[in-house]
Amino acid sequence: MNELLLMCLIAGRRAAIPAVRVQSVIEIDEITPIPATPDFICGLTALRSQALTVLDCSLALGLQSAGRGKGERAAVVEVDGHLYALLVEAAYDVGEARSEPIAVPGGFGPEWQRASTGMVETDGGPALLIDIAALVAGPVAIAA
Amino acid sequence: MDDLLADFVAETREMLEASGSELVAWEADPSDRARIDTIFRFVHTVKGNCGFFDFPRLEKLSHAAEDALAECRAGRREPDKALVTAVLAIIDRISDMTDAIEAGEDLGEGGDDDLIAAVQADADSDAECAAIPIEVKPQTSETPEGEDAAPKAARSGGGIQRSIRLPVELLDEVMKGVSDMVLARNDLARRLREAGEQPTIDGPFERLSAILADVRTAITRMRMQRLEHLFTSLPRLVRDLSNELGKQVMVDFEGGEVELDREMIEMVRDPLTHIIRNAIDHGIETPADRLRDGKREIGLLKFAARQSGNQISLVITDDGGGINIGKLTAKAVAVGLYTQAEIDRMSDRQKQALIFEPGLSTAEAVSSVSGRGVGMDVVRANIEKVGGSIDVSSKPGDGTSFYLQLPLTLSIIAALTVGAGGQRYAIPRSYVEEIVFGSSSHVDFAQAGDRRLVTFRGKRVPCLSLGEILGEETDNTFDWTAQTLVLVRLATDDVFALAVDRVYDHEDVVVKPIAPAIMDTKLYAGTTLLDDGRPMMLLDLPSIAAMRQLVSETRGKANAVEEVAQEETARSVPIMLFTGLDGRRRAVRLELVRRIDTIDRMAIDIEGARAQAVIDGSIFALVGQDRGALPDERCRLLRLSDGECELVYAVREVLDATEMAGEIVPVSGDPTIEGVTLVDGHPVPVIDGHGLFALHRAPRRESHPLSCRIPADSDWARTILEPLVEAAGYRVTHDDAEEADVAIMLAEEAAANTPAVARSVIRLRSEPDEDGQDSIYRYDRDGLLAALKQVRRGGVA
Repeated sequence: MNELLLMCLIAGRRAAIPAVRVQSVIEIDEITPIPATPDFICGLTALRSQALTVLDCSLALGLQSAGRGKGERAAVVEVDGHLYALLVEAAYDVGEARSEPIAVPGGFGPEWQRASTGMVETDGGPALLIDIAALVAGPVAIAA
Repeated sequence: MDDLLADFVAETREMLEASGSELVAWEADPSDRARIDTIFRFVHTVKGNCGFFDFPRLEKLSHAAEDALAECRAGRREPDKALVTAVLAIIDRISDMTDAIEAGEDLGEGGDDDLIAAVQADADSDAECAAIPIEVKPQTSETPEGEDAAPKAARSGGGIQRSIRLPVELLDEVMKGVSDMVLARNDLARRLREAGEQPTIDGPFERLSAILADVRTAITRMRMQRLEHLFTSLPRLVRDLSNELGKQVMVDFEGGEVELDREMIEMVRDPLTHIIRNAIDHGIETPADRLRDGKREIGLLKFAARQSGNQISLVITDDGGGINIGKLTAKAVAVGLYTQAEIDRMSDRQKQALIFEPGLSTAEAVSSVSGRGVGMDVVRANIEKVGGSIDVSSKPGDGTSFYLQLPLTLSIIAALTVGAGGQRYAIPRSYVEEIVFGSSSHVDFAQAGDRRLVTFRGKRVPCLSLGEILGEETDNTFDWTAQTLVLVRLATDDVFALAVDRVYDHEDVVVKPIAPAIMDTKLYAGTTLLDDGRPMMLLDLPSIAAMRQLVSETRGKANAVEEVAQEETARSVPIMLFTGLDGRRRAVRLELVRRIDTIDRMAIDIEGARAQAVIDGSIFALVGQDRGALPDERCRLLRLSDGECELVYAVREVLDATEMAGEIVPVSGDPTIEGVTLVDGHPVPVIDGHGLFALHRAPRRESHPLSCRIPADSDWARTILEPLVEAAGYRVTHDDAEEADVAIMLAEEAAANTPAVARSVIRLRSEPDEDGQDSIYRYDRDGLLAALKQVRRGGVA
């Protein structure tokens, strides 16, 4: 199983996003906030004349956000025809998965459990494989 | 050629080209399943399309090939070389026929049966199979060649396509590219501005900008299609259906110029077709029934499209029998959708809406046209899938209307950009009725409970603050007078005021869909990019109003905004303050001012007492220029209008628009001044509009000028009299045969000639002191004009 994964840091934990789904990794420059939207939606940013919906991954999981600073990196993914920029605390390299995603007895904690398809072994140690669609749906929708 | 037919030919040819390589590959390996599938799809599509047109031979051929290939796919038959050859021969034949269809020729006769026999499974011996195609092939190629070489040449000429098909993604890609270019240009423009003026760069840059704007418009238009395109295919459909059902139906279209995204047009095609089928099948009665009911024999099916904001509304109306509610509800009970008790509680509207429920059809018999299980529920589902909505209203005996609301994904809408909480938002301009400053004295604010109200022009309307809607503001930070009010009128005729921090600009924006999580807020309809590349949200005003219960259920209710009693103690008149060329302050009633122009000094022509200014190719009388020296370069002009004609007033500076609270004190001595009023404690003379227009009013051009014949053979009449007569508003004619309204004759001639055909005659004499009862001295300008005027009044001289 040699799926390529984008290794990143979400809420202080190592996480992996399937690299085939990631169009690019960008540095978020300016975000236009959208009032009255759920917390995890930071706003919109423009990437080459396209508007991306910027999500804070930590908040989308239902965890505490580490707070954002300028120049933060985000993975651009497309879900149902809409482009999203997934803000992560750090984006590392693209690496190969060394194992199938597996469940761990006892789970990964309720928040992680919802938006993760399992744990994969990577060169840098175990990481949680993110389920992009579940992440984008946000904590409210997942709970529902 | 018929549009549909052209489409058919284009599509078939396209598939032929695409399958060309597949065919070759299949020949090399007849057992290749993937190839069989591709070719099967091709013949299947051709067969399907043929059924739509009337090409029985094409249909037979493709049907035979489809059968044979289907056998192979099902594993009942082993594809062999003979089959491949036979199928290829058929495809060649299809190609030939397609060419013939396009050229409008008759298809070559014969040979089809042999081809069909060749693909049939019972073609047993190899020798036979191989022989038949060989036998056949020359036949097919012979026919076109035998006729003439010319059609062939014409055909290859016709092969040059005037239109090409492009994947929509490619268009999107190009569109994106152009948008990026615009952003890059804007960036460059900013840098150039910062660097100061550079004539060598600025010129080419301007050109680049202009070209880019053109390209952008063109690309945008590429994606948009007039609804006409959809409409053109409907009359044919209606005709075929009504023939089939023995009814007579006429179609009427309105709003074909409304543009809709290409994809959206394709999306609504099927639902629309279905509604038409239903209308003709169930709605419109047979001619006999219609006559009996006192209607016209021919039924009417009407399509009306209209753009309102970011929605297209499409109304399909038939004048048939309407929905039979009794039958519909009975059926609903019969199939167990609702109980009779539930039905009884429903309003008529709800009952009508039952037709959107699955499994209901009021048709007594399932006809070949509709009622085959695909019902209005599927139509509704399809419309809703593209983000639209459908509604129905029906009157028994009078007909049925379907109301479709369709969104314009990726469409350009005219928007007003407003600011709230430090950010910009776009509002579809079609909703905006008026913009008022909160600080204006026309506006009163009131609060009833938690509801803010605005009184403007005697109407009290609810007021929403954008900042509050977006949750960015609390009551105590709210300051009415700092706000700008946008009066919004929704499609439902509900009016409310939206208070925003400021209004920026009008802009045409490309609206793109937004992520579902943002959609859930029900505040936004889409997103768009500003020129500097920043995203901006488009507000969904109908939804915002609906969330705050500002949309009334029945139309017109909102018009009940109460008329506030007009008991103003001092009626205030808006005036515009300016400084004249002499540097003195003056005022003019605001109603008189049409607009403010700034023109070049060169466009002003003054000679003695006559002064004129040229604006946009029209000449206007200029006043106020005698007050002082005109500026050297640019002149500010107030364009005043009395409703019919316009004149311009030269000013040094336009100061402000304000209220004239006090009364006007009349002054004597200066005829150009109506009086003097107090503005902020200072006396300001107010220009007398009446006096101005009385002096400088340009003669009104008659739309149907009276004709006047003047002698053609007199130089004096042509060069001196003619301009005068024309200036008096007459059309000059020299034609003796024409019956003119008035004829001017020179006295010496008049004696000789018999009076020409004219309703009245004016005679001119050449000497002043000559005694002439019925003639006018030729240089007596006033007398002549008076005579002409009398003719105009209808009095016969």
